[in-house]
Amino acid sequence: MSGRPQSPKAALIRAGFVEPDRAAQDLARLGGHGAALLPLLGATADPDQALATLADLAQRLGEGSGDGEPQAGFLAQLEEDEGTAMRLFAVLGASPALGQHLLRHPEHWQELRDPSLGSTRPAAFAVRTDLLEAVGADPSEDCPTANIPDAEAVDALRVEYRRVLIRLAARDLAHGVGVDDVAAELSDLAAGTLDAALAVARQRVGEAAAGCRLSVVAMGKCGGHELNYVSDVDVVFVGEPVEGHDEQAALRAATQLASHLMKICSDHTAEGTIWPVDAALRPEGKAGPLVRTLASHLSYYERWAKTWEFQALLKARPVAGDLPLGDEYVQQINPLVWQAAQRDGFVADVQAMRRRVLEHIPAKEADRQIKLGSGGLRDVEFAVQLLQMVHGQADDQIRQPTTLSALAALTEGGYVGREEGSALHDAYGFLRTVEHRMQLHQLRRTHLIPEDEDALRRLGRSLGFLRDPVTELQRALREHRREVRRLHEKLFYRPLLDAVARIPGGASRLSTEAARTRLAALGYLDPEAALRHLEALTSGVSRTAAIQRTLLPVMLEWFADAPDPDAGLFGFRKISDALGRTHWYLRLLRDEGEVAERMARLLATSRYATDLLQREPEGVKLLTSEQLVPGDRHALQREMLAAGGRQEDRTAAIHQVRAVRRRELLRIAAADLSGLLDVEQVGEALTDLTRATLDSALAVAVRAVEFDRGKTLSTRLAIVSMGRLGGHETSYGSDADVMFVHDPLPGADPQDASRAAQAVANELRRLLAAPGSDPALEVDADLRPEGKQGPLVRTLESYAAYYAKWSAVWEAQALLRADATVGDPEVATAFLALVDGLRYPADGVGEDGVREVRRIKARVDKERLPRGADPATHLKLGRGGLSDIEWTTQLLQMRHGATVPGLRTTRTAAALRAAVEAELIAESDAETLIDTWRRVSRLRNAITLVRGKGSDQLPRDVRELGAVASVLGYRAAESDALVNDYLRCTRRARAVVERVFWD
Amino acid sequence: MGKQEDFVLRALEERDVRFVRLWFTDVLGFLKSVAVAPAELEGAFSEGIGFDGSAIEGFARVYEADMLAKPDPATFQILPWRGDGPATARMFCDIVMPDGSPSYADPRFVLKRTLSKAASQGYTFYTHPEIEFYLFKNTPEPGGEPIPVDRSGFFDHTATSKGSDFRREAITMLEQMGISVEFSHHEGGPGQQEIDLRYADALSTADNIMTFRTVVREVALGQDMWASFMPKPYTTHPGSGMHTHVSLFEGDRNAFFEAGAQYQLSKSGRQFIAGLLHHASEITAITNQWVNSYKRLIGGGEAPSYICWGHNNRSAMVRVPMYKPNKGQSTRVELRTIDAACNPYLAFAVILAAGMKGIEEGYDLPSEAEDDVWSLTDRERKSLGIQPLPKTLYEAITVMEESELLADTLGERVYDFFLRNKRTEWESYRGQVSAYERDQMLPVI
Repeated sequence: MSGRPQSPKAALIRAGFVEPDRAAQDLARLGGHGAALLPLLGATADPDQALATLADLAQRLGEGSGDGEPQAGFLAQLEEDEGTAMRLFAVLGASPALGQHLLRHPEHWQELRDPSLGSTRPAAFAVRTDLLEAVGADPSEDCPTANIPDAEAVDALRVEYRRVLIRLAARDLAHGVGVDDVAAELSDLAAGTLDAALAVARQRVGEAAAGCRLSVVAMGKCGGHELNYVSDVDVVFVGEPVEGHDEQAALRAATQLASHLMKICSDHTAEGTIWPVDAALRPEGKAGPLVRTLASHLSYYERWAKTWEFQALLKARPVAGDLPLGDEYVQQINPLVWQAAQRDGFVADVQAMRRRVLEHIPAKEADRQIKLGSGGLRDVEFAVQLLQMVHGQADDQIRQPTTLSALAALTEGGYVGREEGSALHDAYGFLRTVEHRMQLHQLRRTHLIPEDEDALRRLGRSLGFLRDPVTELQRALREHRREVRRLHEKLFYRPLLDAVARIPGGASRLSTEAARTRLAALGYLDPEAALRHLEALTSGVSRTAAIQRTLLPVMLEWFADAPDPDAGLFGFRKISDALGRTHWYLRLLRDEGEVAERMARLLATSRYATDLLQREPEGVKLLTSEQLVPGDRHALQREMLAAGGRQEDRTAAIHQVRAVRRRELLRIAAADLSGLLDVEQVGEALTDLTRATLDSALAVAVRAVEFDRGKTLSTRLAIVSMGRLGGHETSYGSDADVMFVHDPLPGADPQDASRAAQAVANELRRLLAAPGSDPALEVDADLRPEGKQGPLVRTLESYAAYYAKWSAVWEAQALLRADATVGDPEVATAFLALVDGLRYPADGVGEDGVREVRRIKARVDKERLPRGADPATHLKLGRGGLSDIEWTTQLLQMRHGATVPGLRTTRTAAALRAAVEAELIAESDAETLIDTWRRVSRLRNAITLVRGKGSDQLPRDVRELGAVASVLGYRAAESDALVNDYLRCTRRARAVVERVFWD
Repeated sequence: MGKQEDFVLRALEERDVRFVRLWFTDVLGFLKSVAVAPAELEGAFSEGIGFDGSAIEGFARVYEADMLAKPDPATFQILPWRGDGPATARMFCDIVMPDGSPSYADPRFVLKRTLSKAASQGYTFYTHPEIEFYLFKNTPEPGGEPIPVDRSGFFDHTATSKGSDFRREAITMLEQMGISVEFSHHEGGPGQQEIDLRYADALSTADNIMTFRTVVREVALGQDMWASFMPKPYTTHPGSGMHTHVSLFEGDRNAFFEAGAQYQLSKSGRQFIAGLLHHASEITAITNQWVNSYKRLIGGGEAPSYICWGHNNRSAMVRVPMYKPNKGQSTRVELRTIDAACNPYLAFAVILAAGMKGIEEGYDLPSEAEDDVWSLTDRERKSLGIQPLPKTLYEAITVMEESELLADTLGERVYDFFLRNKRTEWESYRGQVSAYERDQMLPVI
């Protein structure tokens, strides 16, 4: 402390006031009492507000008697009784709305003088008695009825409600009553209010009311005894005739009572409103009758109710009106709730509900939403209720109505881990307190964390963060929400591991039976096997098992979110069995969450990638983002050749080449599944990889043949890429379409050179196709002159002679895709020069040629389609499929390639864009073709990734189709939308093809 | 599950229900029904009842025949016409694939999709159909002329009218099934009746129309008559249409209403009509789906043949009815092309889609047709910018083939099936030699 004299202004600022000038004025209005009360005011949420209201209140109390004496009396009492002052100021600082109420009803400040407020929870029956008496009803009667004029009663109810609320708020703010107790007291207050409102309603309805029994059953927060300060009070009405009365008439009267009750609570009068009563959770929702008999409720729930409706019933509790009837309702409904888990659709429903938890409102305010946002209150409540539904059937101990007590029971029963349970308890308690304080401020129903500095400061201070309130509040919020966000892993999955663990000691844990139920509810089709895998992965006391125990909960969730959870877990076990003891494997998964998530999705989605990974589990290393970039062709080639070069033995050498290829296939597939590559990049990467493989295999084959023949090769060889390989559009599992060409060295014996070249080509095909631990590459040379009848390898001259004499239009068309970049570059270039005239004839392909192309296409459409295939969904030969688009493009190339340089490309999309430039096709038409081509190609790749082998048919199996849809980014249960989208884009493409190709 | 199953059995037994009919509709609008015993109902709710989709017109390709019918419990009704014996109940179904994804081939899903698209912009769609049909004395025989049950005319009331007995019984039955009837009377043709259903959301109305067609035919059979919704059974008498009043609501507010505007019609209302007109030719194949439908649209009487709108103009395709003071909620527009032989799910979907397109794109409403458009000359109509509607099924499907709006609204499978089916219908009709041709030619050439 400095000895510097302080100005009064500085003193106020130090005490916590924001506007010292105004505070000084208000302070002056308190006369001599100000100085003594100042420190207490400074400790409130909003000292300025508290002080200003206090001064107003003092004035109001003074005005009451006219001579100013009581004012002095009021303030003097506060000065004297610190407890009362503390309670009053806490309310004034935290809630201007209650402050306003006090100014309207100044005498209510006396309520806060009650010293028992700090220690005694008001009994529910006492609260009810006060509220009923306020409207002039006799609480001891079976059906208390108001007997003061209606408008007065409605106002009196509001005033009395607030009077009790002020006492409650004071307990909450000044005496640190636990958040669950506050919520329970608010629920008692609501129950009493409903009963008093019913008493007023009885007076309105009059005699008819006597013929019916009406019970008000609270649902939701009020039913669960965990109400907020301001929220809709959810109720359901049950009505029965009093014995000897007509049922119809009784129900009519009960309906009148119920609708009056709702209005009495929600109407705005001079004394404000209380809260809306919401009866929308009743059977059939808003469309259903407001009041039903017990039998009618039962028959609805037994017959029609959906799983979420049962979830709402978890919290049903009779609170007002005819309590015995309400008790009967709850008793009859209860068994149904717990049977819901046995219904056939339950698993699907649970999953849909779970998705709903995860699909947070994409509101702009998601971060500020304390209820619905990610890591919000709803997250906890929903998850807890879900666990209750799943396990409550077998264990009635966990059938607790409030979130916190249910969480405690779930923890006690081992359904939730002990640490997690307690951390979650704290987080939920904190978030609820924040919600309470926000609502208390204006008594408004809000779940939005404020944005402006002042409001945040006030909110922070109301929670007790007096030092640096804004920063502290935000830090605490962040921490607790992060805790909640991790809740699925904690709540759903971790206890599964305890179930299979052999932990000594009496700590309760999930039973095997309960674990099975839960796995099934989460979408595992074979929970038995899943438990076996879990046990194998986590048993023992090794470090490996310990890391697995931390890793698996989240892995299990990722598997469950993918199309095939069982395959995911099984694959993970196999990989872990293979790599478990290596030093890097589990560390990588533990430290790089991204790798673990990618691997989980890959294993539970793609048989193709899983197969590659299982062939060589080390591939897990590739799953980091930096690694998921396909290698450049020349670098790959160098690596393959370097590795191959070290191997004298041809089998060992080709093994190296193929191992590199396998590793790269995995890299590309994983990058594709992670959405890091588009379909063109995948095609490019696979093409580079195939060409590098061919080039390396060619080198190995040449060396092998030279060794066999005992002399060096007397010719130069090149491999021409054809088809999709030529077009840089290779897909997973494509064969390599090629033609072999050679050019004997000057002076070499043509026969001998030819034999040697033949041997090399054969050897290359054999080496790449031989069975082995790495996937084979089929080298297909059927597009060569004379097809399978023709020689496998020809010289440049032989090609020239053949094409000059025999060539058919289809051969010229196939050559459009010829791209020669493997083997000897000079021979390759010479080959392309040789065929250019053929594929891009100087005047374009003539009328005869066009007719021929169309004729062949018509025949291909008809004959090549496999028997039983559906032309609408055949990706390659179907309506608007790949062949349609490619032939259309190729016809344009053959007609105009000679004059339009841009058309002289092997790539489909590039050719179409060039055709647009040259105004050979409308831009929109070309865009349609390119877009469809990309979609269909992508779909085709996705099918291979899912099935492990290629198919040109849209999957017919529903699971497979669902998995393909998931790879393509569709949500669950949208597989028919995928089909619809496919049909749409191919229909549009077909329309373009009709115009551009056929006309 | 044991207790639950028992209860359902018991509850259904209390009313002596032996069968529950699960109803759904094929692409052409024919009602399909699968009967299940009460014992199977529980399974039907949670998983649906499997059936071979390839057996239903337009539902599935052969290899993916497995489909499921999932009953919609909100539509549960006891069927009233089964006499005193054991009762039968019915429910409408949604069609889903085995993985639970809704089938794009299901007309009900077509309408639901279109409704939810409108709902995402805050609109709900209400419809109110006026359904016309004929009652005949005899069951139809090939080549025979149908004989109407009476010779009365519009609004005629005769003491012994078979028609009014019929209407009374039919209406009682409809009301028993929870379908409110607004209005009923004798229509212009001999034996022709009209019954108007109360306005309701489009999905309920479509379900109700399907029920209505069944009830009417059942009641007629019970009274030894034959009822038909054929759009134009007689050359000389008026056809049977299904004038449909439509309106959009935003929450509780009628989006077509604007106090003080011309005809109290809001901007959205005007744009909606503009959408209907702009896409009129495209949606005609759906609203008027049969070769015979176009014989009704030839003109005169109550059926329009030109694309235009008017206020209380009965010759216009879209009519804005007289506004009733203080009834802002009842502002609506009436589409007069549609006939009762349509598939109501598809028809409501395309009407809504066309209207919504008008709102989304902010189409301008052309000026109102104030004259009787039939009495104008072609040249006058041309100068007023009034286009004719498709004159035949062939013209209608030709326009539909080019319509992205229809492909988008119906979904690819329904769109494709519908076109194929209608092309076939047209081809087989084209080859028919009619009595008209023989009457005209045989005597003279």
